Amino acid sequence: MRKRHVFLLLLAAVIFVSLISGCSTIGVQVWDRDILAKPEMEFDSQALDQSIDDHIYFSKEASSGGRSFGGGGCGCN
Amino acid sequence: MQLTGRPSIRNTLTAITAVLIGGSVAHAADNTKLESSLLIYSETDRVKAAEGIVNLNRIFPDGHSLNGRFSFDALTGPSPNGALRSSSFQTFTRPSGTGSYTVSPGEIPMDQTFKDTRISFDGSYSKPLDRLTTVDAGGHLSIEHDYTSLGLNGGLSRDFNRKNTTLSVSSAISHDIVQPIGGAPVALSMMGAPSNGGGEDEFESEGSLGKGKNVLDAVLGLTQVLDRKTLLRFNYSYNYSSGYLNDPYKILSLIQDNSTPNPGEPSGYIYEARPGSRSKQAVFGEIRRYFWGQVIDLSYRYFWDSWGIKSKTVDLHYRIPLLKNHALQPHARWYSQSAADFYHPYLISGNPLPTHASADYRLAPFHALTLGLEYFMTVAPKTHLSISAEYYHQIGDISPPDAFGSLGQYDLFPEMKAIMVRTGLNYDF
Repeated sequence: MRKRHVFLLLLAAVIFVSLISGCSTIGVQVWDRDILAKPEMEFDSQALDQSIDDHIYFSKEASSGGRSFGGGGCGCN
Repeated sequence: MQLTGRPSIRNTLTAITAVLIGGSVAHAADNTKLESSLLIYSETDRVKAAEGIVNLNRIFPDGHSLNGRFSFDALTGPSPNGALRSSSFQTFTRPSGTGSYTVSPGEIPMDQTFKDTRISFDGSYSKPLDRLTTVDAGGHLSIEHDYTSLGLNGGLSRDFNRKNTTLSVSSAISHDIVQPIGGAPVALSMMGAPSNGGGEDEFESEGSLGKGKNVLDAVLGLTQVLDRKTLLRFNYSYNYSSGYLNDPYKILSLIQDNSTPNPGEPSGYIYEARPGSRSKQAVFGEIRRYFWGQVIDLSYRYFWDSWGIKSKTVDLHYRIPLLKNHALQPHARWYSQSAADFYHPYLISGNPLPTHASADYRLAPFHALTLGLEYFMTVAPKTHLSISAEYYHQIGDISPPDAFGSLGQYDLFPEMKAIMVRTGLNYDF
């Protein structure tokens, strides 16, 4: 079991390093950010709506988390 | 002259200004923003809820920011108690232990007295450590009449690759206290017969302190600018909770087997028992793409936990600009989950009881669909209004193949449909 954990950690480290090195070659220059600067292109542009949705689904389904914290903080019966 | 498709000088200057102001994906930030939202939630023949939220965010010239949020919600209406339908009248003890309620033959047993209010406060503070690194810290307090939660959270994010890549790590802890009405019932104990006053139920002697639950959260995130019009995000989240994880108001039916005169009919009810700990993990991917003024956002989440539940969620938002300052956003979400290892729609009377058992429909295998439409408009300079309506439908395995006796004639999963209407009003100071 311990060997499996070590293997998974190493695998995660390799993926992480690959992602970071791969990411360094993609992206845009500062002067190409006109579209990305639009409010609707921000991932959290509807954070309030998203938190309401997360609260509803947290109380009606068994899953939570992913986008943000896994939740808690309510009885949700 | 070359036609390279480059943005105009004005757009370029706007973008550079936004980058200088700050932010990993560079959005020109307003100093103060007030957001408010009102939600009306209504399930068919079941729970109704109203929730109001006010959020105030202030960004200071040096990049520090403060955020405060206040929420209030009120719920009322029938809620399934976990027992199955029956061809005869069923009578249950109220959670308070005083009084009872009766359910007609063929109806889903629901506690008609479910009623709750909740207020919560959230606050956070973020501070740039340097041009590329930001830290934040916050806390929350949530209070219901039978539930209290107090928590702290913190996070760190750093930009790389000309601010095209952002890595973030955040964590949260909270301590929750459950104070069930009438006390916490002993797991797997019999629900007392209402004819005896319902006072014979076994309750744990926790006094007024209630039952505790500790929750630990961690999220690792990677956000990447792919090109001028595309953003990508990957998250991994981990959640561990331990302590009292039962729902004190949920029960299971003990069903008479085929050797009895009334197979499939209940002979009694017991309180549910869940494991004392749970770890939840999820991987989440999201892509947002701009094209011809429209924005499409597609996300996928795969979830698994130590209770044996696995789920998949696909979420799609598609924002379409209409006239100037107006936009429409259709939304579709599909969700599917497998059952918890200890989910049993019922138990057979006389058989040995399992260590853990729950008939809570939220731990059952089901899938759900959400369809919605949101309308955005700028009603005045700096004032934005949004109105949305969504339809939510949960569909379960309505008649398991092992259902016997009178169970075969009923839908054992209490199908649920809900309508959500939400209005939002934002003001930028």
